[in-house]
Amino acid sequence: MTSLTLRSLASRKLRTALTSIAIILGVAMISGTFVLTDTINKSFDDIFQAGYEGVDVAVSPKTVEGLEGDTGPVAEPLPQSLVARVAAVDGVAVAEGSVTGQVSIRGKDGDAVTQGGAPNFAASVMDERFTPFRYTEGREPGADGEVALDAKTAKDQGFALGDKVGIVGEEGAKRYTLVGVAKYGDVDSLAGASFALMTVAETQRITGRVGQVDEIDVAAEEGVSPEELKGRVATALEGEPVAVRTGQESADKQSSDLQEQLGFLRTALLVFGGIAVFVGAFVIYNTFSITVAQRTRELALLRTLGASRRQVLGGVALEAFLIGLFASVVGMLGGLLLAPALTGLFSALGFDLPTGGNVVAARTIIVALLVGTIVTVLASLAPAVRATRVAPIAAMREGLSEGDGRHRRPYFATFLLVAGVGLLLAGLFGGGSGGQAASLLGLGAAVVFLAVALLSPRLVRPLAAGIGAPLQRLFGLSGLLARENATRNPARTAVTAAALMIGVALVAFVSIFAAGLQGSVEASVDRAFTGDITVLNTDGFSPIPEGVQPAIGEIPGVASSSAFRFAESRVRGVSGTVAVIGVDPEVAGSYTATWKDGDDQLLRTLGDDGVLINNGTAVGDAKDVGDTLDVLTPTGKRVTLTVRGVLDEGDFDLLGGGMVLSTAVITKEFGVRQPALLSVAFDDSRPKEQTRKAVDDMLAAQFPNVEAQDREELKESQSEQIGQLLALIYALLALSVIVSLFGIVNTLALSVFERTRELGMLRAIGTTKRQVRRIVRLEAVITSLIGASLGVVLGVLFALLVSRPLEEEGFVLTFPIATLLVLLVLSALAGIVAAIMPARRAAKLDVLEALAYE
Amino acid sequence: MPDIVTATDLTRRYGEGVAAVDALAGVTVAFPAGALTAIMGPSGSGKSTLMHCLAGLDTPTSGSVTLDGVELAGLSDKALTELRRDRVGFVFQAFNLLPVLTAEENITLPLTLAGRKPDQAWLDQLIETVNLTDRRTHRPAELSGGQQQRVAVARALVHKPAVVFADEPTGNLDSKSSGEILTLLRRSVDDLGQTVIMVTHDAKAAAIADRLLVLADGRVVHDGDAGDADQVFQVMREVVA
Ligand SMILES: Nc1ncnc2c1ncn2[C@@H]1O[C@H](COP(=O)(O)OP(=O)(O)OP(=O)(O)O)[C@@H](O)[C@H]1O
Ligand SMILES: [Mg+2]
Repeated sequence: MTSLTLRSLASRKLRTALTSIAIILGVAMISGTFVLTDTINKSFDDIFQAGYEGVDVAVSPKTVEGLEGDTGPVAEPLPQSLVARVAAVDGVAVAEGSVTGQVSIRGKDGDAVTQGGAPNFAASVMDERFTPFRYTEGREPGADGEVALDAKTAKDQGFALGDKVGIVGEEGAKRYTLVGVAKYGDVDSLAGASFALMTVAETQRITGRVGQVDEIDVAAEEGVSPEELKGRVATALEGEPVAVRTGQESADKQSSDLQEQLGFLRTALLVFGGIAVFVGAFVIYNTFSITVAQRTRELALLRTLGASRRQVLGGVALEAFLIGLFASVVGMLGGLLLAPALTGLFSALGFDLPTGGNVVAARTIIVALLVGTIVTVLASLAPAVRATRVAPIAAMREGLSEGDGRHRRPYFATFLLVAGVGLLLAGLFGGGSGGQAASLLGLGAAVVFLAVALLSPRLVRPLAAGIGAPLQRLFGLSGLLARENATRNPARTAVTAAALMIGVALVAFVSIFAAGLQGSVEASVDRAFTGDITVLNTDGFSPIPEGVQPAIGEIPGVASSSAFRFAESRVRGVSGTVAVIGVDPEVAGSYTATWKDGDDQLLRTLGDDGVLINNGTAVGDAKDVGDTLDVLTPTGKRVTLTVRGVLDEGDFDLLGGGMVLSTAVITKEFGVRQPALLSVAFDDSRPKEQTRKAVDDMLAAQFPNVEAQDREELKESQSEQIGQLLALIYALLALSVIVSLFGIVNTLALSVFERTRELGMLRAIGTTKRQVRRIVRLEAVITSLIGASLGVVLGVLFALLVSRPLEEEGFVLTFPIATLLVLLVLSALAGIVAAIMPARRAAKLDVLEALAYE
Repeated sequence: MPDIVTATDLTRRYGEGVAAVDALAGVTVAFPAGALTAIMGPSGSGKSTLMHCLAGLDTPTSGSVTLDGVELAGLSDKALTELRRDRVGFVFQAFNLLPVLTAEENITLPLTLAGRKPDQAWLDQLIETVNLTDRRTHRPAELSGGQQQRVAVARALVHKPAVVFADEPTGNLDSKSSGEILTLLRRSVDDLGQTVIMVTHDAKAAAIADRLLVLADGRVVHDGDAGDADQVFQVMREVVA
């Protein structure tokens, strides 16, 4: 039996290859994701380890687990006075305060230096034993007007010692003299990030931290262990809001923090890999069903000759196992190629990730092999069992019994459908955490897909009739034959189409959802942004320097400006974190909120302990004006806030989705200094265009990575960001669609093979090759349109369902009809592409051989 | 009567070297219009090969074939396909029909392929003749073997081809159904002036022919009037010893 299986696999190399691809792509995505994220982790790990090499103990501001923001420092820096206190501790050889902050380094052309989007930093020069930088040219900066650059940046930008380098910091642009070039450890750059090294004082100034340091690095005296010193330093700083760690612990913490952030990326990418594997399972199932049916006679003959059911089952299962294993190995190796491709995809769409040599963990190999093999074997199980039911007598009978028994009453499918919808509802309205809800929704969607796939053989005939009618009118006999061929075996067509349905449904869902999101955001901007311009980072999400707001305030024609700052917090009595928005008192001049209880005047008087809660965003027991909230901030402080009013902002509004407090509180207690954005109102003292021009000029000169946008521009840039994300999701979903296209190729190829004699007869009586090709092509179009139309319908239903709970939050459901139509057209075209190979094979059949074919 | 199909010095060699088989070893033969010719011969004598070469389905190794005045050598695949579609009718031993089409759709297939509409009166008459009037919308799976073969005959005649080739059209049928098919072929010659070339193993089938051609080892070993079944039998015994 084993050698028979091997021989039958070898004799059908093409089919084996096509079947494998169904699994290869998904496995490649999974292993590629692991390789990519492991590689990113590794390259940062190296950086962090190098960064703490000579550091025995590090003192940093205390932060609360889970409340660290993902952009910029949230912790209030340490006062510089602490450095002396640490230095005085017994056993300390050297203690030095360091400052690092994001800046924008300008190239010779005046443009920002970006290496694949990696950030630019200003860092203070440090004692030789702490700093990872080694000077290859020149010397360490010693005066405030001097700077050293990392070797890569200096080389790429063509800077030579003595050149002037422009650097934009918190207080605007300034020019420095290049006095040194340094390597990071023994590499030219740190994962592509650019570094400007400066004196401590200048770094403090440029990053807006005068009199403060981010971290105090400590070296122990001979004979004092890092652990011991850590204890002593901690005792000396008792009561200060600091965290004391050994150098190793600090490096590990940075690594694990990063891992957590990367965790989201990894999960998201794995989901797309999982979808591709799920779709692949359909293709595998179908291929095995068809081959078992086509081999009915062969199997029956084996049974007649005395093969047991077990041997037949084992044969098919072994075939699946071998294909699965082969596909997994190829897919895993493919992941190595995919990882850089993913990085490329991200950067093409404006999301840059650092890279290094591929890291292949044992886990990557194991998961890839297990997933691919298990899914393949599972998907082939039903056809394998069906193979065992082949009666020996079937050897004598003509006919393919594939799909038999599928016309039983659809109890199971209906049950699945109900269960799937139940899971979706539980996810939407069950009130679970974000992660739980997402898992329930994902599982629900998968179960619904399965149920629809099981029900779809019943839909094939009517759908094929509907789609086939115009094709028949257009193409006559070819259209008729294509339709008839597509419905000849409804189960086969249904599963083939269902594989495509999944991808199309997800694309449809995402595009409907994105359209709704776009509309909702635009509506919110239109309603609430009553100022003249909004000022934000050119990347659309990073915070902006603190110096921007005062600089704008000085421009004649500017009436008021208000900063918005974001943070996370924990509120007693609330599980999970609560978003915090800090606003200036002037906010009412340029932003109009919606209220349940209160008015915009309340925004002016929040003071040191006032808070506004949102109707619909639960913050424990606090519901009404006068209630108090016990809030833990990211810097570990506890503050008690009193509810002054109740907003009624939706999740798409700037002040929605969390609680609102004053700038004073969010900067002091939460440690958030940089605004996320400013909203600015102009007065009528001079033409508004003139004021706008003055703002633009000032920003261009002093803060080149900050820009102003009027309401239309803001809406446009928001749409653009959503569009970018959408493009990324489309690209990732394309993988699943490609898998399903291979399913179409496979099904068609097998069907063509099965109809060899028919095709021979057609050719003999005068069907041209073109006509034969067209018949196959149109069958593919019908199949793919069946899948696509089911997919669009499912996508619409999903969108309707998922947007329900969001409607209260101001989500406006809109159907991007044009996009959905394009989706259908693209599916039809994809069908044509999938049919190229099978159609060519059908047309190439030798007429005489086909006629003699047995 | 002019010749509708002619073959001159036709050879067809399969394989190469010592393993080569000469399925046709120099066949020169002409088929006059409006006649029914039966081709007989032992298994492997080259009957099917000859028919395939005459019909433009196979390319001879050497020699030439003209069909309805067209020299087949050098025609492109497309031209050959269209020639078959427009000027040739086929009846095979089995698997003549497309299972997804109805009987009537199968019959009109050659016309549909050419993008032509059938002449309704002629179609009705044809279906009447093959006695399938009440089976027009049935699929092949719902028809008996004999009925299926009658559909095939009707399809071979529907576009009034220059010549109909039938390769053992009764090979799979019982004697009653065979009789019906042979009668149909005979009538197509007598009533419609059709030219029919039929390969058969059955002396009774050959007996309805106007002319009998016998092949052995890729050569024509007898060419003459068919006569009745006994005479055919006689000829066969003599020439294929
Ligand atoms: N494709 C092929 N390759 C090799 N040899 C072939 C091929 N087709 C036919 N032959 C050989 O050519 C010879 C003639 O075959 P052909 O099919 O014409 O015989 P036939 O007279 O129709 O026989 P039958 O009565 O059995 O149908 C035979 O020896 C056969 O083996
Ligand atoms: Mg033959």
